[in-house]
Amino acid sequence: MIIYPKDMNSVKTYIRGVFYGLFGMLAAGCEDFLSEKDPSNFNRDNYFTQPSHAEAVVTAVYESLYPMHARQSWLITELRTGMLGSTSSADGGFPNFALVRTLKMSADHPSVEAIWESHYRGIGNANMAIQEIPGIQMDETAKNRLLGETHFLRAYYYYNLVRLFGPVPLITSPVDLGSADLYPSQAGPDEIYQLIVDDLKQAETSGLPFTSTSGRVTLGAVKALLADVYLTMAGYPLQLGTAYYQLARDKAKEVIDQGAYSLFDSYDAFRDPSVDNTGEYIFMVQFHETEQPSDALQYGLTPFKMGISRYASEQGFSYAERQFVESYDSDDIRARERVFFYKEYTAELDRTQPVLFNQYYTYKFFDEQAHLETARSGLNWQVIRYGDVLLDFAEASNELSGPDEDAYEAINQIRRRAGIPELSGLSQTEFREAIWRERHHELYYEGKVWFDMVRTRKAFDFVNGTFNDYVGHPFVTGETLSERELLFPIPTAEIRNNPNLIQNKGY
Amino acid sequence: MKYEVYRKVYRTMKLATFLLMAALVQASATGYSQQVTLKGKNLSVTDIFREIEQQTGYVFLYNSKDIRETGRVHVHVSDLPLNDALARCLAAFPLTYRIIDSEQTILVKRKGNTSTVPPEEPIPVSQTLVRGTVTDTTGLPLPGVAVQLKGTNQGTATDMEGRYVLENLPEGAILVFSLMGYKTVETPVNNRQEVNLVLHEDLARLDEVVVVGYGTVQKSDLTGSVGTVDEEALQERPAATIQQSMAGRIAGVNVSQNSGRPGGQAMIRIRGNSSITGTNDPLYVVDGIILNVANLANGTSPIDYLEPANIKSIEVLKDASATAIYGARGANGVILVTTKRGSRSGGMVTYDGYLTVGRLARKVDLLNAQEFLRVEEIAYQNAGKYGLGAVTPDPKAKRTDPRLFDADGNPLYDTDWQEEGFQTAFSHNHQLTFSGGDANNSYAVNLGYRNEDGILLTSSLERYSGRLVVDTRVNNWMTAGGSINYSNQHESHPQAVGTGGISPTRSVLQALPITPVRYPDGSFAKTLDYPGMEGGDHPVRLVHETSRLLEGTNMLGSAYANFKLAEGLELRTTGGVNIIQQQVKSKAGRDLQFISDNGQAAISDERYTSWQFENYLTYRTSFTGNDSFTGLLGASWQRVSRFGSSVTAEDFLDDYFGYNNMGVAANPRPPVSDASAYSMNSYFARINYSIQQKYLFTLTGRMDGSSRFGAANRYAFFPSVAAGWRLTEERFMQAIAPVADIKLRSSYGVTGNSEIPNYSMVTGLGSYSYIFNNQRITGIGVARMANPNLKWERNNQFDLGIEVGLFKGRVLLEADLYQRKSNGMLLNAPVPTTSGYASVVQNVGSMKNTGVELALHTLNINQAEFSWNTSFNISTNRNKVLHLTGGQDIVQGTNPVTGLRIIREGEPVNSFYGFIQRGTWGTAQADEAARYNRLPGDIRYEDINNDGAINEQDRVIIGNGEPDWYGSLINSISYKNFELTLDLQFMYGNDVSFDTRGTSLDRVGITNVLSDVLNAWTPENQNTSIPEIRPVSAYLDRQSSSERIYDGSFLRGRNLLLSYDLPSAWIGRIGGRQFRIYASIQNFFLISSYPGYDPEVSSSGGNFSQGLDLYSYPKARTFQLGLSFGL
Repeated sequence: MIIYPKDMNSVKTYIRGVFYGLFGMLAAGCEDFLSEKDPSNFNRDNYFTQPSHAEAVVTAVYESLYPMHARQSWLITELRTGMLGSTSSADGGFPNFALVRTLKMSADHPSVEAIWESHYRGIGNANMAIQEIPGIQMDETAKNRLLGETHFLRAYYYYNLVRLFGPVPLITSPVDLGSADLYPSQAGPDEIYQLIVDDLKQAETSGLPFTSTSGRVTLGAVKALLADVYLTMAGYPLQLGTAYYQLARDKAKEVIDQGAYSLFDSYDAFRDPSVDNTGEYIFMVQFHETEQPSDALQYGLTPFKMGISRYASEQGFSYAERQFVESYDSDDIRARERVFFYKEYTAELDRTQPVLFNQYYTYKFFDEQAHLETARSGLNWQVIRYGDVLLDFAEASNELSGPDEDAYEAINQIRRRAGIPELSGLSQTEFREAIWRERHHELYYEGKVWFDMVRTRKAFDFVNGTFNDYVGHPFVTGETLSERELLFPIPTAEIRNNPNLIQNKGY
Repeated sequence: MKYEVYRKVYRTMKLATFLLMAALVQASATGYSQQVTLKGKNLSVTDIFREIEQQTGYVFLYNSKDIRETGRVHVHVSDLPLNDALARCLAAFPLTYRIIDSEQTILVKRKGNTSTVPPEEPIPVSQTLVRGTVTDTTGLPLPGVAVQLKGTNQGTATDMEGRYVLENLPEGAILVFSLMGYKTVETPVNNRQEVNLVLHEDLARLDEVVVVGYGTVQKSDLTGSVGTVDEEALQERPAATIQQSMAGRIAGVNVSQNSGRPGGQAMIRIRGNSSITGTNDPLYVVDGIILNVANLANGTSPIDYLEPANIKSIEVLKDASATAIYGARGANGVILVTTKRGSRSGGMVTYDGYLTVGRLARKVDLLNAQEFLRVEEIAYQNAGKYGLGAVTPDPKAKRTDPRLFDADGNPLYDTDWQEEGFQTAFSHNHQLTFSGGDANNSYAVNLGYRNEDGILLTSSLERYSGRLVVDTRVNNWMTAGGSINYSNQHESHPQAVGTGGISPTRSVLQALPITPVRYPDGSFAKTLDYPGMEGGDHPVRLVHETSRLLEGTNMLGSAYANFKLAEGLELRTTGGVNIIQQQVKSKAGRDLQFISDNGQAAISDERYTSWQFENYLTYRTSFTGNDSFTGLLGASWQRVSRFGSSVTAEDFLDDYFGYNNMGVAANPRPPVSDASAYSMNSYFARINYSIQQKYLFTLTGRMDGSSRFGAANRYAFFPSVAAGWRLTEERFMQAIAPVADIKLRSSYGVTGNSEIPNYSMVTGLGSYSYIFNNQRITGIGVARMANPNLKWERNNQFDLGIEVGLFKGRVLLEADLYQRKSNGMLLNAPVPTTSGYASVVQNVGSMKNTGVELALHTLNINQAEFSWNTSFNISTNRNKVLHLTGGQDIVQGTNPVTGLRIIREGEPVNSFYGFIQRGTWGTAQADEAARYNRLPGDIRYEDINNDGAINEQDRVIIGNGEPDWYGSLINSISYKNFELTLDLQFMYGNDVSFDTRGTSLDRVGITNVLSDVLNAWTPENQNTSIPEIRPVSAYLDRQSSSERIYDGSFLRGRNLLLSYDLPSAWIGRIGGRQFRIYASIQNFFLISSYPGYDPEVSSSGGNFSQGLDLYSYPKARTFQLGLSFGL
């Protein structure tokens, strides 16, 4: 028997309500109920509608300038010049620099992965910007400038990639799950350089200002980078020769003739965040004392755990080999204590107490205030400075027709600041080697010298002051450069995840 | 669906009516009349009993078998005395009855039953009276126990206090005590005036009712594989979390206690891993409310907040027949938690509490001060070999600090940091419960307080919890109820989960033995007091100058209403809300190596809101010929949303402020917040059909829709089918005497997994930033590659099981064989980063788990005062990747130093991946070593393809963290009021990657290291895997390799517990119901060749992290003293 409730109507009403509710929801609301929108993030379908969106995507392209510097990944090139030793013990999060210095690094090294991954992310954002910005309704002048900056940055990222890794995938449009480019093959260096030149030429005509203190890409930066690219194209691996020395010289001359840049009077400026983006600097990675500190650079400059700095993490990433420091002219200001190098400092706990080091550490970019007081540095990292342009110009000129007056003036500007005798009356060969030596001495610890060594296939013998062929050149510590060291390995993970890639020889 | 009804009531279901009504009698016995009026058509026996009980207060006592199939009658009785009314009502039934006025009880038996003796048979009288109390093994009084004089129909039943009185006893009387679900006990009276007795639960729980999804089913009718942990088992192992409570209790359920931190950190795997990126954690359902939220801060899960003292039972659904009702989320098994409800038998107060003391169970071998200094000197002596002679300072020259060295450069201290960094941990726990009620209403209130210290300095957990539960029978056709669980938890975790940075457990291994904790002036020694040393500061300074607090509030509320729509037809409506709020506060002082230069503080908040609304109809009916049918049809809506925010500030002038006043920081960082949500909409149905209680069939189906998938793949259907055959119901089996019960069952079904990040089907943009004009500017760029074709992961599972009960249930065997195949495995698969992305969530392939589970319960000795029972279970699960899209390996993890894992066709999923280390290069092999750019004394990795380079092609599978076999052996012995439980846990064939070894061997001379380094390579000692000691600036070459893989097989004494129940007579004198004291030692021994703290370890949490040991939090050996009593 059914036990009927006293008030059947109310029960029936309730039950009917439940059923209607149940099946009403079933019939009507399912799709709506299951449609969830991401409230925190845009997606590609609902973005790129306003001018501010164009600016934002270009900002994202810039951000990829950081990872190479956040953990000093760029040091892998400098540690292949023989100029640097390393006392770093670090592993795990920090790259194991001793393996690079001893030429034992493998494709597992975290620095190559960091560089590869961040550069391609920058390229991915640039490709998206180049595809999406033209469709945004906005002021055409501003639009062109943003596109110009993007093309510059894409060219810069590819320029690093092709020099570090040789043949790399050439991705020029956004990739999705269905793209053929998801598992790309490598493109030849010639194709990659072609894109770099095309991008820079496009940037050159995009209405960028010649200089700016904002930290954004300028026309000066575009031309200076183009000069450097041409110089590299003239040398290895493309060996395009004279025509490209001519292009390099002309482009460098455009920068010089503009008169917008000049060398700093003192090397102190390299350590002074307040002159960032001015004077000698053409293009810099922008840091900020608190918002984006460049602390890894600073604690990488200290010896390993000697108690000299407010930074707790004194890393000792690298030191200068004694023979390299001794290869400077004895009058060279740059080799003096606390100019490019330092061998002693004071103890953190007692600043009257000297602390002596066993090696020469790098003082060139030592932000004193950060080490003494704040443990925070906003010092920018220079990518292109006027000194590079002068040296590029002098080298390209010399390759075309031997040293001329302009070429001497270019290198002598640098030598005068260093307090060493001006050059004159050299043969083309002597001048060439003088330039190369000067590049070592001037561009030390800037991540540029190894690129010079590879494009010239020459290495500096610190002790004799002469130049050896790159392959077979012995470091003062005994290791010998081989063909393998002309390129860096493609990161293991990338080789694993893309069966179409071929690893560089020897890794 | 009957979550709200006591499982215990179900277990004694056939006496349920009696119990309920007895409560009523207690409450108002005098309010009943002896006159009965009863009118109705088609009344069953139980209908008649219920009416008479309500009117008279008398209680019917019967065996439900006796009243089965007794038919229905029309009744018309007005104002008749009880005796007459009964005679009229029951005339048509094949029943006899006897009224016992003194106990207000009516005993009913079936006519012609051999056990039935005609009423009013004369009995020889000698002893006049015996009385006593019947309790269960925990000391709780047992009401409703039938107390019978053997060989007669004379008998009574115990009242709510478990008391009975029996009069007119004959000479040599033997009393038979019986209660459904308990073993029957016979005892001679022997002229005693008082016979008190403890009834032991019957292991043959064939009449046990098992909670399954959206309903309950008798164990005998079950077609799926379901494991149960009942209240008594839970009580044997007082614990802080449910995982600890259930560890080792169920075959096929691998509960790994992977950390010794307070609150634990357990990983539960039911029948292995099914998914790579999706979760492998089971689905938790508490009283029908699905705990939707996953991945809380610090590796906790909402289930961790449920106080185990409130848990009545735990059921684990393992096969597809059982889990398919949870469809898309059943793939990893389902854990159903049934909580305690109110009492229906008057007011009760119970208290449970314990104290524990924990100590570090095992140490690892480290260098002492002398050894440390000697190793540093050896490194210096070898520097020249590595071209570092000129740049390496003589360490002896720096041993001048008078705080650390005497005038001869000898160390003043030799600190054992494992002594200093770990402490003796004291903990206590108190649970107080009030409950009460009557036949129609019940309530329970629980208040809990738990305070646990960890063995790592400053680690602790404090929890306040409260719970209120109410159930009421509103009227004849409606019952309703609800519960609220609230807990507030404060945890101090100086050790963050999953970090290899400067953590206290790392510091314990690496701190310098030559420095003290503090100098005589009271200041902390710093690592840098000895120049040139790397690494963080010592653990004591670390835990004092940093802190990491986790504060969580969890509210779980639910309400239900049950409507009886017609005979056998019920509608149940449930709603549940789970709100979780978590706050993590952390700070670090100034000048802490690798942690903070200028002081740092951060607060992050997370709030999860999850709700669920479900409605379902259940229809039960029986047919002639003993067939029965149960049907279920329902719908469910759920939504989970999360909101998170965090603030960080840096640069404090003083360590005083920390997170308590972040405004004083000079450098506030940009605030962060994010929100996300997902929703699910599901429909489910199930049919159970039983033919003659012999052939059992279950059909289940669930359709799930989730917002996480694109429109094309949003809904999926998950069906299952199962059958059971009770052989012993067949006539040909009934002759086999010792066989009590044999059931064969088999199931096949599909379940799913949808635990992927929200919004994976659209291309997500993320935020970036860059500095322009010395200001931080926000950018927007690529973040997540879209996969619009993303589908559910589907698991096809087959199960074949057998359940055997022998010798009247004294031996119970349950064995299962299963295979499950996961198709469309969800993986956040790496893609070439040339795309601008690192990974995309994809359906990448298929894998298979095959396993066997065996559980054996035996009652070895079963006497009134002495019993011994044994539970043994053993399981194995073998995993194999069958297919990967494109066929190529997928390697997980990016850092070869800390470890890689590989997914490869034909191999177990996520095996450890790395080089094979072949010792070190010897001097005789200098030329060969040079080929690899290495020197004698360097690590020698095997060049598998012999191409002259050690690279990716030389990596192979070097181990797997999953065990071949695992299980438990639990023995319980009770003698009089004592009970002894010995609980052993074993695991065989699992590998452990002792990743701690990487950094704890390499940093020779700059941190302390494992004493294994004393066996390093020297020209005289070349047969070693430890490379020559050299300055760290030479190069470190240690990568994840076979050298750090150890066999993690172990045998653990998980628990040894001795308890004593005070005799109920003593307690009765002071008005109590039970009083129990116990003492136990947990983790009382560990036999393993593993050199780390504990081979049962996972230092990171997450999928496939089992067996990864990187600075893990060691487990304690815990001594416990506990007390529980009820009034």
